[in-house]
Amino acid sequence: MRILRYLGPRLLLAAITLTGVAVLVFISLRLIPGGFADIVLGPFVTPESRAILTERFGLDEPGWVQFFKWFWALLGGDFGVSLVTQQSVIAELLRRAPVTGELALLSLFFALAVGLPLGVASAAATARGGGRIGRTIGALGASVPDFVLGSLFIFVFSVWSLGLKAGGYTPFFEDPIENLLGMVLPAVTLGVFGMALILRTTRDAVLRVLTEGHVTAAVARGETPRQILRHHVLRNASVLILTVSATYFGYLLGGAVIVEVLFSVPGVGFYIYSALLNRDYAVVQGGVLFVAVIFVLLNMLVDLLYVVIDPRIGAKRG
Amino acid sequence: MSALLHAKDLVVAYETGRGRVQALDSLNLTVEPGETLAIVGESGSGKSTLGLAVGRLLPAVALKESGSLTLQGQEVFAAAPDALRRLRRDLLGFVFQNPMSALDPTMRVGRQVSRAAGGCGTAEMQALLVKAGLDEPERVAASYPHELSGGMAQRVVIAMAIARGPALLIADEPTASLDVSIRARVMKTLLDLQKDAGASLIVLTHDLHLAARSCQRLAVMYGGRVVEVGRSATVLSRPAHPYTRGLLAAAAGNEAPGEDLKPIPGLPPLLRQRAPDCSFAPRCPFAEARCTDLRPEARELDRREVVCHLAERVLVEASR
Amino acid sequence: MVAALTSLWRRDRLSALAFAILALLVFLGVFGPWLPLGDATQVAAGPRLSPPTWAFPMGTDELGRSFLPRVVEGIRYTFLLATVAVIITAILGTLLGMLAATVGGFLDMVVARVADVLFAFPALLAGLLVAAVVGPGAASVITVICIATLPLFMRVVRSASLSLAERGFVIAAQVAGATTWRVILRHILPNVMSVAIIQITYALSIAMIIESALSFLGLGAQPPRASLGSLLQVSSVYLTIAPWLVGFAGLTLSLAIVCVNLLGDSLRDAVEPLPGRTLT
Repeated sequence: MRILRYLGPRLLLAAITLTGVAVLVFISLRLIPGGFADIVLGPFVTPESRAILTERFGLDEPGWVQFFKWFWALLGGDFGVSLVTQQSVIAELLRRAPVTGELALLSLFFALAVGLPLGVASAAATARGGGRIGRTIGALGASVPDFVLGSLFIFVFSVWSLGLKAGGYTPFFEDPIENLLGMVLPAVTLGVFGMALILRTTRDAVLRVLTEGHVTAAVARGETPRQILRHHVLRNASVLILTVSATYFGYLLGGAVIVEVLFSVPGVGFYIYSALLNRDYAVVQGGVLFVAVIFVLLNMLVDLLYVVIDPRIGAKRG
Repeated sequence: MSALLHAKDLVVAYETGRGRVQALDSLNLTVEPGETLAIVGESGSGKSTLGLAVGRLLPAVALKESGSLTLQGQEVFAAAPDALRRLRRDLLGFVFQNPMSALDPTMRVGRQVSRAAGGCGTAEMQALLVKAGLDEPERVAASYPHELSGGMAQRVVIAMAIARGPALLIADEPTASLDVSIRARVMKTLLDLQKDAGASLIVLTHDLHLAARSCQRLAVMYGGRVVEVGRSATVLSRPAHPYTRGLLAAAAGNEAPGEDLKPIPGLPPLLRQRAPDCSFAPRCPFAEARCTDLRPEARELDRREVVCHLAERVLVEASR
Repeated sequence: MVAALTSLWRRDRLSALAFAILALLVFLGVFGPWLPLGDATQVAAGPRLSPPTWAFPMGTDELGRSFLPRVVEGIRYTFLLATVAVIITAILGTLLGMLAATVGGFLDMVVARVADVLFAFPALLAGLLVAAVVGPGAASVITVICIATLPLFMRVVRSASLSLAERGFVIAAQVAGATTWRVILRHILPNVMSVAIIQITYALSIAMIIESALSFLGLGAQPPRASLGSLLQVSSVYLTIAPWLVGFAGLTLSLAIVCVNLLGDSLRDAVEPLPGRTLT
């Protein structure tokens, strides 16, 4: 019951956010100079195909009617049809989503596995007056763009074959080992930024918790630094770390465009990017919305996790 | 040598952005086993610094510059990390002003209490809660701190402080953040448990009445020094230091409970170094030329120790 | 200035080094065209894809142009776009943040929500959408950078202003009948400047990443203009036969961003130091 009262307003906000994104996407694609039909159909437009398009998108109707028709179809799961291949956009997105999902999960795993321990160590070092190394790793990791790092990996691994594949995707269910070998480099390329992000967040969050009264109280009870970190700091710090991880995961789900292109991973980002190059705006439109939906759902999930981690949150706002 | 706590010429200073600020100015104090001592003073008098110094809990910007502080003969500021932790665990129990911030918000109360008791079982943990005056130990143990009232949370903190049978309890304004209606009862619990455990108790407070009611001895702090110390009844009935006198006049019994004692004109001093004179002189109605020339030292007078050149005159005034 | 730098060097070598490198890059970007580094546009100035030599310190590109002046041109364009975009977003975001905190109510809610949505949205995806609408080039790069960095300012400035708005002097000014704008400009702005400036450094690093990423995807700088990202894109075709091209362009870009981030970190540490506490 308390959970419901906590989640209710969030569901409403999520719905409002998604509607807002839909409106923005709709308007922005109607703003493309030259008119929707001309852009979509190119210079060699025949009156028949123009009529078909006008019919399908209701282009002769007022803007808001067009929007509601389109939006209504969206709610029914109809994201439209690719203008190039005539395939259903949602079917293609759903086919590619697991690929991007796998990449994102692997990257997140890398980022957390490396970033969390480094962050805690760096916080402990900073509290003792040091922490230079953590600071430098954090700044470096957050600064090297993924396409620079990816290019470096591709060069190194294509000149000296070191067991990992740089580019070329094998579906997981065809050959899981090959699939993972091919995914390691793109995942690490994407994950380095996240590692730095989580390192910095963890360090800041831990340092902030260290100044709280209950940590002083634990010190006063004679607990060891290890006990204090483990029992009284990490869980308190994890709310902030979780928020940042979730934002990062969302970025991975939608923002893996460059790495997918660089390593030829057939994911959602690659799909949207190629669609843009082909001027397949129906796919761009559907793809952006798809990512937005996933993003909002993810944030809801995180809101739920908060309640589990920090008992105060559900109570305070519920 | 039998003293539980002995501070001798203790100097602690804070390194701040605007230079060094001296919080304890050659402080001397002794606490005997089993006794109760109230340390009274305005904010800025150094009483909180003293409380933290006993457990070497001062923030990193605070430095012990000279003097010594011993607990059962062990030098606190020379202890190795392990020895220091053992000392905190076995000898000390702290009760902080705000119980809500002293408890871990993400851990159930029961687990916090049993961890404080060295990982004891449920029965022992609940017994501790009952001892601290919590009637429904199961419910309290299963709660998170934010689900408790301030008074209940402070009782939990007290339970944790006595969990390992400390030799010395240090309570910094233990009731100031609580509802007026329950202050007396929480204070009584603290005193009962202290007596049971045979521990000594130091209460840091600005509330003279609380101090008088609960503690056998009273130390008045000003400018980082103990300016008067003796039996509570002696000191309060016939104060020998003008500052004690001022505090007493300000707290003449009709102020609302918890209200700050303010009607002594002026502000407590901000010391840069060892005071060369009496740091109360600028606010003192008795002050003479020698008060600003010569640093007064502690001396015995009328069954208490006092740091004032003019204590005799103050005593005479008081008896009138 | 010199004294300040030497004291920074003594206190924090890393930040001082970052500052020096950044100053050098800015100098190259601003005065590059007038420095004797070679001609960025002369095709077939040397052999194609030559490795670094004395005549061509960074080698030559696929058209035989000297790569060093191309990289300097890239620094110039990347820094220019990033700076322009960040100036726009800093002014806009700071004003919106202060306004939301001072006026409160509905406006505050809208600003907070918009910041959440923008913050949540993957910048590159927004980039694809904007490029689809506006077309590739400087305008869409600047738009995307603004979209991505606006929430940085709105959030931080809003919360800083909120805590200010509850302080006595702001309330006093309001009671005394000062207009909202006067309160914002006279009383709040001077006090949120420091947090805004820290955000500017982070926004700059994000801006450089976005600019080069969009250019790398062919949606940013269009030939014959070169940005560090578009240089990387073109060079990456020759990655295996002329790796030094990607190396120089990538190193320059990464170095610039690292330096900006390091400076941001040390600024932040100076303005809001985390109070340290040891656990012993």
